[in-house]
Amino acid sequence: MLSFAQVSYRYHGVTDPALTDVTFTVAPGEHVVLLGSNGSGKSTLARLANGLLLPEEGTVSVEGMSTSDRATIRTVRSQVGVIAQDPDNQIVSTTVLDEIAFGPENLGLERDEIITRTTSALEWLGLTGYEERDPSTLSGGEKQRLIIASILAMNPTYLVLDEPTSMLDGAGRAEVRNAINSLHAGGHGILHITHELSFARDADRVLVLQGGRLVFGGTPAELLNNEELLVSFGLKVLPQRVSALPHTINDRLLAALRPVTAPKRWRERGGVFPSLYLNNVSFSYGGSATAGGAGKKRRKKSGGVAESELGGDFRGDFGGDVAGELGFEFEPGAAGAAERVVLKGVNLNIAPGSYTLITGNSGSGKSTLLRILAGLLEPTSGTATFSSGDKVFPSAVGIVFQHPESQLFAQTVEDEIAFGPDNLGLLPSRDVRGTVVREALDAVGLDPRVFFHRSPFSLSGGEMRRVAIASILAMRPTFLLLDEPTAGLDAAGRAFIHTFIEQLVQATAGVVVVSHDVAEFSQRAQAHLLLKDGQLWRL
Amino acid sequence: MALVVPFGQYVPGTSIVHRLDARMKLLVTAAYVFALFAVTGWVGLLLCTALFVGAYLLSKVPLRLVLRGMKPILILLVFTFLANALTFSALPLGEAPLVEEVTSYPLPESIALLGSFGIKPPGVLRGLYFVLRIVLLVSLTSLLTYTTPIVSLTDGLISLMRPLARFKVPTEDIATMFSIALRFIPITAEEAEKIMVAQSARGAVFDKGGPIKRAKAWVPVMIPLFVSLFRRADELACAMETRCYTGQGRTHLRVIEMGEIDLAIGGLSALVLILLGLLL
Ligand SMILES: Nc1ncnc2c1ncn2[C@@H]1O[C@H](COP(=O)(O)OP(=O)(O)OP(=O)(O)O)[C@@H](O)[C@H]1O
Ligand SMILES: [Mg+2]
Repeated sequence: MLSFAQVSYRYHGVTDPALTDVTFTVAPGEHVVLLGSNGSGKSTLARLANGLLLPEEGTVSVEGMSTSDRATIRTVRSQVGVIAQDPDNQIVSTTVLDEIAFGPENLGLERDEIITRTTSALEWLGLTGYEERDPSTLSGGEKQRLIIASILAMNPTYLVLDEPTSMLDGAGRAEVRNAINSLHAGGHGILHITHELSFARDADRVLVLQGGRLVFGGTPAELLNNEELLVSFGLKVLPQRVSALPHTINDRLLAALRPVTAPKRWRERGGVFPSLYLNNVSFSYGGSATAGGAGKKRRKKSGGVAESELGGDFRGDFGGDVAGELGFEFEPGAAGAAERVVLKGVNLNIAPGSYTLITGNSGSGKSTLLRILAGLLEPTSGTATFSSGDKVFPSAVGIVFQHPESQLFAQTVEDEIAFGPDNLGLLPSRDVRGTVVREALDAVGLDPRVFFHRSPFSLSGGEMRRVAIASILAMRPTFLLLDEPTAGLDAAGRAFIHTFIEQLVQATAGVVVVSHDVAEFSQRAQAHLLLKDGQLWRL
Repeated sequence: MALVVPFGQYVPGTSIVHRLDARMKLLVTAAYVFALFAVTGWVGLLLCTALFVGAYLLSKVPLRLVLRGMKPILILLVFTFLANALTFSALPLGEAPLVEEVTSYPLPESIALLGSFGIKPPGVLRGLYFVLRIVLLVSLTSLLTYTTPIVSLTDGLISLMRPLARFKVPTEDIATMFSIALRFIPITAEEAEKIMVAQSARGAVFDKGGPIKRAKAWVPVMIPLFVSLFRRADELACAMETRCYTGQGRTHLRVIEMGEIDLAIGGLSALVLILLGLLL
């Protein structure tokens, strides 16, 4: 039995406990799903399960052995395997086989025993034949399966999985979900931690964590069929009509989107903005050693064109060929392939006020496509232009990268949001600066009075994401591209993103979302495109 | 995307070079490097070249891959060559002992190009000599990494280091650190690139202005990079603890068994190389 008894935990230097009085058990062979919104304490609980963190009060024990007992900690750890979110941060070795053998080797097992265990773990997770592969060449789903296999080789009775699918695309999710179910069928006790309701259906029992307390324990049906409960636990947010939201937000958004950076002749047309076009765009990575250098030269030239056409009020220079400068190079995944063709003659038209969803498997080139749309990457052939004839330039097309909160760096939210517009020369005075920052904060639903002077690093994950989005919005782009904007967000965070996008569209911004979460976005977007084999297909 | 490093990634194969014991390969490589720097003339260097070509042919590694190892050092090679070949003829020539061996007739000291600046034929030869030496050095190490999985290399290295464990050198930890570094360097490089692109999209400029301005432009890249590195380090530590890593009492799946053939081939090649270095 894996058991938590009245467990409380508080992080050093934090007043509010992350977990309070948590009690539950997982029996061998049982499949328990633990749900909870962002910051509810799920990862803390996972780390407590095998003694990576030790409880402040109460006890965590495995078959009667407390995790606080140093004498039995090795047994505890081999009994309870903990698998975290990001497979890249858990892989230690440079081949699949060595990764799986890592745990058994640490246990000091005999070589024959290591071979038996690695072979069976490889087989169990369908990785036979991958032994000598370099883990960095695996897909997300394969990497996560590798981690599970390497835990399995320790012969655990219980597996604790902390959002194992949140970094994966649709195929990867299915792979991991199957793996979990087959482990359960094989008699392991499973504690699957997630904020996605759909996984609850697989479980024997569901627990809900809210604000560090266990607030529910019961069957999946009891929870899933009770909308009121789901809403009160923050696991579901009822759809809100955009028109029902305070009208001022719409006005502010419109104001925030008045593109000061746009060429004069756009502005003179009284707020009617051109469309964004991709004409027969192809792109390939790799090839010659000078690819980076050539890209740089091309961009310098294109920057010049934009500048002269803008009559000098566009001051951005977007860093040239960033990769080339650092001395990196795009290397094709497989040794030997000279060139990797990612896009083949893509045509696309993004109108102002339109909402386009682009989906595709991981590695299909979605991020490349977005970078080209944003003017950050020069296509190998074809053009990215506005219907006015201007070449695409970055300040007119804002791009919110995946996990944008990982780009935050400033000391205050104010500085963070002002960074972009400052670089573009849009903030001639302190007053303007304050106004621009406040408008952007308003637009993402954060109260400027509360957040203006806070450090971005003191915010919750969801708040950080909003600040990151505000920092792009403050540059007043006409188009906004969002790469996986809901990744890692709970129900409330997702609901915010959807409302936000709808408001942008009403404010006549052209929005493009890239996501693998088809179900979530497809009924909201006006157009749904699939990127496959280097081409866009209308769905 | 990957960081360009002078050694490549393992290319699976069954050649004799692939199958040779990693420890032996390391010893032979060390002996080769010794020979490369100990020989003092063209004869020795050409013999070294021949030995490398032999090993390369046996390994069946595509030439393209070996050449790829040259890319990052191209500038170094060009610079080495030019530094030797070009001269201000006013300066004394310096000793060029390498020259006598291939030329029995006196070479002109310098062919003037522009004033006192010119090409120095003995220097050209010397430049070629140095360039060839660097090329061989890099090619052989690439060949080593193309034919040996990194794991076997680290294990081999550890096994050669094992006597040091008696002096309390944490050999297991060093091995693990090495393997982690190999995994995380490309990940970190990719991350740095992503952050740079993202900050460029926010109008950041990295290549304009004076040194202070440039240094400051890196702040928005370095801070997120460090934040992320700390997070990764924390998660990695948990992943290792979960799998009971302590750095002590580890056993090994891959035991490298040194066969007689390994000993014979390795020992012989090392001997030849050392003699070569000492005699020529
Ligand atoms: N290292 C830390 N130091 C201080 N506080 C922390 C630390 N890690 C987490 N917390 C805080 O503890 C609480 C619980 O965090 P935890 O990461 O366990 O939540 P979670 O449910 O896993 O969230 P998510 O869904 O975002 O993964 C949060 O308020 C968080 O801010
Ligand atoms: Mg978590």
